[in-house]
Amino acid sequence: MTGILYSLIAAAIVLIYKATQVASLAHGQILAFGALFFWIFFVGMNLPVWMSLLITFAIAALIGLILERVAMRPLIGQPAFAAFLMTFAIYVVLDGVFQLVLEGGQVKAYSQFLPSAIFSFSDITIPLSSVISFSIAVLLFSLLAAFFRFTKIGLGMRATAEDHQLAQATGISVKRVFSLVWALSAIMCAIAGIAIANLTGIHYVLPSIGLKGLIVALFGGLDSLPGALLAGILLGILENLSAGYLDPLVGGGCKEVAAYAMVLFIFFVRPYGLFGQVRIERI
Amino acid sequence: MWRPCGISDMTYAQDMAIIRAKRHWIALIASLVLVYSLPFFDIYYFIGLINHLSIAIIVVLGLEIVSGYCGQISFGQAAFMAVGAYCSTIFTSKLGLPFLISLPLSGLAAGLFGLLGGAASLKIKGFYLAIATIAIHFLTMWLILNLKVTGGPRGLHALPPRIGNLTFDSDESMYFIIVSVMLLMAYIARNLVRSKIGRAFIAIRDNDLAAQVMGVEIYQYKLMAFFISCFYAGVAGCLWAHWLQVVHPEQFDIMHALWYVGMLIIGGMGSVPGAFFGVIFVRGLDELVLFSSPLIAEAFPWIGTQPAAALSLIAFGLVLMIFLLYEPRGVAHRWEILKASWRLYPFMY
Repeated sequence: MTGILYSLIAAAIVLIYKATQVASLAHGQILAFGALFFWIFFVGMNLPVWMSLLITFAIAALIGLILERVAMRPLIGQPAFAAFLMTFAIYVVLDGVFQLVLEGGQVKAYSQFLPSAIFSFSDITIPLSSVISFSIAVLLFSLLAAFFRFTKIGLGMRATAEDHQLAQATGISVKRVFSLVWALSAIMCAIAGIAIANLTGIHYVLPSIGLKGLIVALFGGLDSLPGALLAGILLGILENLSAGYLDPLVGGGCKEVAAYAMVLFIFFVRPYGLFGQVRIERI
Repeated sequence: MWRPCGISDMTYAQDMAIIRAKRHWIALIASLVLVYSLPFFDIYYFIGLINHLSIAIIVVLGLEIVSGYCGQISFGQAAFMAVGAYCSTIFTSKLGLPFLISLPLSGLAAGLFGLLGGAASLKIKGFYLAIATIAIHFLTMWLILNLKVTGGPRGLHALPPRIGNLTFDSDESMYFIIVSVMLLMAYIARNLVRSKIGRAFIAIRDNDLAAQVMGVEIYQYKLMAFFISCFYAGVAGCLWAHWLQVVHPEQFDIMHALWYVGMLIIGGMGSVPGAFFGVIFVRGLDELVLFSSPLIAEAFPWIGTQPAAALSLIAFGLVLMIFLLYEPRGVAHRWEILKASWRLYPFMY
């Protein structure tokens, strides 16, 4: 079930790529911050669930907007690689702030706010919170896909991804699209962060889960939302399978490297991802 | 091409020379004498610092070659350095090879391992290659953690190097080896980039399709770039292992790889002196934060007791952001501007 959470992070990254042609390394940190803020409001100040969720989303959107305004907007005309390096710099800064706040790797546990019944049919036991996360994720995915396909703003975003200057020529404000897309993806990362921290607690390895989200996005294709969904589920299954079958053979630790082995494999076989559009390069 | 007054080039060798005037020779010899006499002053802390810097300079020189000159971004230098360190430890402890042989051998081993990254660079470019090298890093570290011969999570114990009858087991004595190797590697890098291979690398960086059309065999040159840069990383790893006398998987974390790429960008992506500038600048920043973190912890008591690691990360990221926004060509470019304005003084251009 963690596969679907990877898909959420991957969806945020795909969202940014669809609108701005920049694949962002920084979202792992945004998800950590989302989890952290939710903890501050829910456990630290004891606000009710829905209020802390709303405030966390607002703060996540604010973080996304600030990042976009300060770091990404000055790089609009530059090659996409410079923007990627900028997201890498943002990753480093946010990592530092996160470590500062976390004071050396303490694990702050959540109290469960989702009901904790357990389904079990035949051999498989599934906790209810996982089912709820799964259904929320699927709902978000379908909303996003519909947003991109059917609304005018979604069409504007896809146009901006193709060519900034042509989109500006048709009257779409590229700056506003960027701000909107960063805010939206930050909110999605916050949701994913809250869901993951629900399972594992706030821990300093949370940003590396963000890196796995990027890998899932690459595996499914950087500009395809259904690809991100499928790839996330595949990665979840693959991790658990490799932990189950390969660990006794090799001696442990297969769960972490399964993602990286998978991404290397897909790079050699189909570099643009399972469902990604192949970019044809011309001189 | 700028020359001082009165000097003109009569041959191709003179035109391509690194050192063109007598004053350059004097400066070179004076600085070499200064560098080699540093351990005889009583500045122990700085000798250790210069050791660390020199090893990082070798790594970033390799990174310059593959990323700055050839355009293939590689986040895997820490992993290749780990391969070199472990290989050198195994060669000297388990196989009993002398240090002077195990140094180039571990470089070769790391270079051959780096051909995996080279193979990736044949298929994918740019940011995809960056993620592929991150994946190679994690896979390499997992391999090192799980193989029996590399000692698993406890690491290995390396012997101090012995050349003839001398054993180099202190900072000052290792200083001579490390700085000599660094100067040699810098010399090799400088000569590499002004040769045919270097020109091929630059062509591949600028537009590899056009280079291929022109006749540059990009497959071979990309593989060669990765081999050379991983050779550098392997040599640096070997020196690291013998300097610290212990190798441990945690010394080669992904954050080190990110630091090396950051040093590359801050120093200047396409120039050999950029490696020196980047390493010295970033490490200087690190030391600054280290000195000032107790003061900051006193001034802002909510930060916690040991903010040094986190603050150095924040400072590094902020400096990287500022450089990406305002000076993407790095400190080396500013140095060139400084030199030009010094030459042209009092004129503006």
